[in-house]
Amino acid sequence: MSRVRIIPVLLLRDGGLYKTVRFGKENYVGDPINTVKIFNEKEADELVLLDFHASLEKREPDFSKIAEIAGEAFMPMAYGGGITRLDQARKVFDGGFEKVVLNSVLFNNLSILEEIGNIYGAQSVVGSIDVKKNLFGKQRVYSVSGTRKTDLDPVEWAKTLEGAGAGEIFLNSVDRDGTWEGYDIPLIRAVSEAVKVPVIACGGAANVADLEKAVREGGASAVAAGSLFVYQRKGMGVLVNFPAQKIKI
Amino acid sequence: MLAIINYGLGNLTSIRNMCRRIGVDAEITADPAVIGSADRLILPGVGHFRKGMENLHGSGLKLLLDRLVLQEKRPILGICLGAQLMTGHSEEGDTDGLGWVDADTVRFRDWDLNGLKVPHMGWREIRITGENGITGENPGTPPMNPLWVGLPEEPRFYFVHSYHFEFQQPAEVTATALYGYEFACAFRKSNIYGTQFHPEKSHKFGMKVLENFAAL
Amino acid sequence: MKEERPYQQCSLSVMDNIADPDIRFDEKGICNYYYEYKKAAAGLRTGEEGWKELESLAAGIKDAGKGLPYDCIMGLSGGVDSTYVAWLAKKLGLRPLAVHFDNGWNSELAVMNIENIISRLGFDLYTYVIDWNEFRDLQLAYLRASVVDIEAITDHAIFATLYRLAGEKKIRYFLNGTNVQTENTLPRSWIHPKSDHVNIKAIHKVYGTLPLRTFPFSNAKVKRYYQQVMGVRSISPINYVDYDKQQVKQLIQKELGWRDYGGKHYESIWTRFYQGYILPEKFKIDKRKAHLSDLIFGGQITKGEALEELARPIYDPKQFKIDYEFVLKKLGLTAAEFDHIMVTPPRSHYDFDYEKPIDERYPVLKPIKSIYRTIFPVK
Repeated sequence: MSRVRIIPVLLLRDGGLYKTVRFGKENYVGDPINTVKIFNEKEADELVLLDFHASLEKREPDFSKIAEIAGEAFMPMAYGGGITRLDQARKVFDGGFEKVVLNSVLFNNLSILEEIGNIYGAQSVVGSIDVKKNLFGKQRVYSVSGTRKTDLDPVEWAKTLEGAGAGEIFLNSVDRDGTWEGYDIPLIRAVSEAVKVPVIACGGAANVADLEKAVREGGASAVAAGSLFVYQRKGMGVLVNFPAQKIKI
Repeated sequence: MLAIINYGLGNLTSIRNMCRRIGVDAEITADPAVIGSADRLILPGVGHFRKGMENLHGSGLKLLLDRLVLQEKRPILGICLGAQLMTGHSEEGDTDGLGWVDADTVRFRDWDLNGLKVPHMGWREIRITGENGITGENPGTPPMNPLWVGLPEEPRFYFVHSYHFEFQQPAEVTATALYGYEFACAFRKSNIYGTQFHPEKSHKFGMKVLENFAAL
Repeated sequence: MKEERPYQQCSLSVMDNIADPDIRFDEKGICNYYYEYKKAAAGLRTGEEGWKELESLAAGIKDAGKGLPYDCIMGLSGGVDSTYVAWLAKKLGLRPLAVHFDNGWNSELAVMNIENIISRLGFDLYTYVIDWNEFRDLQLAYLRASVVDIEAITDHAIFATLYRLAGEKKIRYFLNGTNVQTENTLPRSWIHPKSDHVNIKAIHKVYGTLPLRTFPFSNAKVKRYYQQVMGVRSISPINYVDYDKQQVKQLIQKELGWRDYGGKHYESIWTRFYQGYILPEKFKIDKRKAHLSDLIFGGQITKGEALEELARPIYDPKQFKIDYEFVLKKLGLTAAEFDHIMVTPPRSHYDFDYEKPIDERYPVLKPIKSIYRTIFPVK
């Protein structure tokens, strides 16, 4: 019996945590250090911390701040946001993170995946893909916090990233983000079937049943969510939570 | 004092963070003098086997550790790649290891995994086994592996690896895990301990293991 | 030169004259807090009579809230008192809006308890999350100012938020967890009025570094407006029942899945650090004395039991070490900076500007005040 990883995603900006809806409409959620401490005590399987404006603002990671945050987690932590070079990735790993999540940089420089993977292992490099429907209703990959559209098909891009050395794919549906409408199962399935590396599904989860669906119907190896774990319920107040039930396949 | 050996690979910070949280005096160091004076050693590791061995040879640490561990019997805990390096040989890079334990490091047999993906990444329950794994309730039997003492129920740990140990002598295996098939995930030979999983990333379960190791 | 008084402890309770310049003892060695407690307790109607009165109050609340999404509002911290109030509210058939105030120091246990309470009682939860950067700046300002009531910041923000929400949602009744039986005794010098926004701003002006753009401020005038013009009333349901803390804990454990923190106010890591370390070490204040004395006055424990409790360390050393590192990390202080704060002598809140009644600020208004007070008496 495998136990599926359930992963809260935390969005960091200016030292504070925020939650978005469709990658916009930012709502302040609280202090990252205390929030991670709470998730740690709830024994969350893993955490993803994303400085989601870093690429937009052409910034590099705030290394000391994120190291402070990592210090509160005794489970694996992944960090993404503004990493464009190996030396930055090194600083992130030294700060206590197990994985780096790369997104915007990959459109210019795919070789960084192997650069990092050769030293730290492929499992430490996660390729992140943000997917949104374009004007014609076709799903396309978007870069730079979902603001810049590309002509790339998500499945093809996932295969490219896998081929270039990504150890995992973090698949994000911008259209479902923060909506509590459920995961985009067809998207998840298409990508999961196309690659051999684990796929982490994110965007739209409203309850534990959705998490299970992403795994059983979508074939995701792990499930991630933002709103579900920081709000008490849809439309209700901030209250950090983590499901007690496990997903076993 | 517990020395976390810095040979260029591994989650050194995470291990030190957990040591601090449980009140264990730990230092990250590459300095042979400091390593030599520590009463407990941790050999961490994440990355490629060949690179790991190259770094150990190149820094002179291999010779130092051979002496401390094999001759002076200093307690040492290998974590993930660190534990794999203690075996005789690895398929990763077709490289020889330290040879401290009677085992090799082999790649997961894809064909036996029933579609499960490699690397094996995630939380897995371990099964405590082996001569060293008996609870010691029956008189005359060896005591349980000290690292498992007081472990919370249904112990699970975080794994992330593509290669695993393969032991000739089951007696040295202290725990196994199931991923497609059962594989050895922890061992003990006298003062030499190794875990495939990452205690520093395994919450209260990992804390117990580190606590026990520090208290040896 | 302050005259050093010889140490004296109340003959009945464990209140003493360490760090309390206002305590008085009568010829029997009994402190003034005893008599104050007795007076307050005498005014309470509990048991069957109290319950009837609560039910009648509840009827009024339901009436006033007809057609509105909520008929009352209550703070939920995850602590025993506010949890009990939530349970009572459900029992009385009220429809409260539960408000949780997140100042960045929530313990995981508090969050878990709140989750259980909300889901089991089926209440709606509103959370106000304070901007952490601003809140930290205020906490640091208070620490550097060396004033005693650092919790006033949180208390004020809760107070301001509750009134604002009540106004927005047209809620006329507040339910609070205040109770005479465990909280009546509190030396004046240990706290500062929580409605005083002038003091907070004054302290921040001297020691703060960031502008306070989102911090919720209110003031006594706003409170009076809500009370007198909008008819908002605050009710303390616990004062209408016989409050046996042990029994209440068992009740909420059984019915709401509440889990014990192992210390009063331990739902907030900051509060446990403040009460367990900063207050006793820097200000020589042990708040347990006040709480335990109330239990003695109410006949729930004996003085001997209270003394036993006080003899126990106020802070578990292992927990303290973890909290110490966590607090310093969150506040961004080095050990040296924190040590310096700890040895700086305490200062009075009144060293800084504070909220004065309008006629004190503008004496010319004194004669008008008496007329004003006749029309609008203070509740």
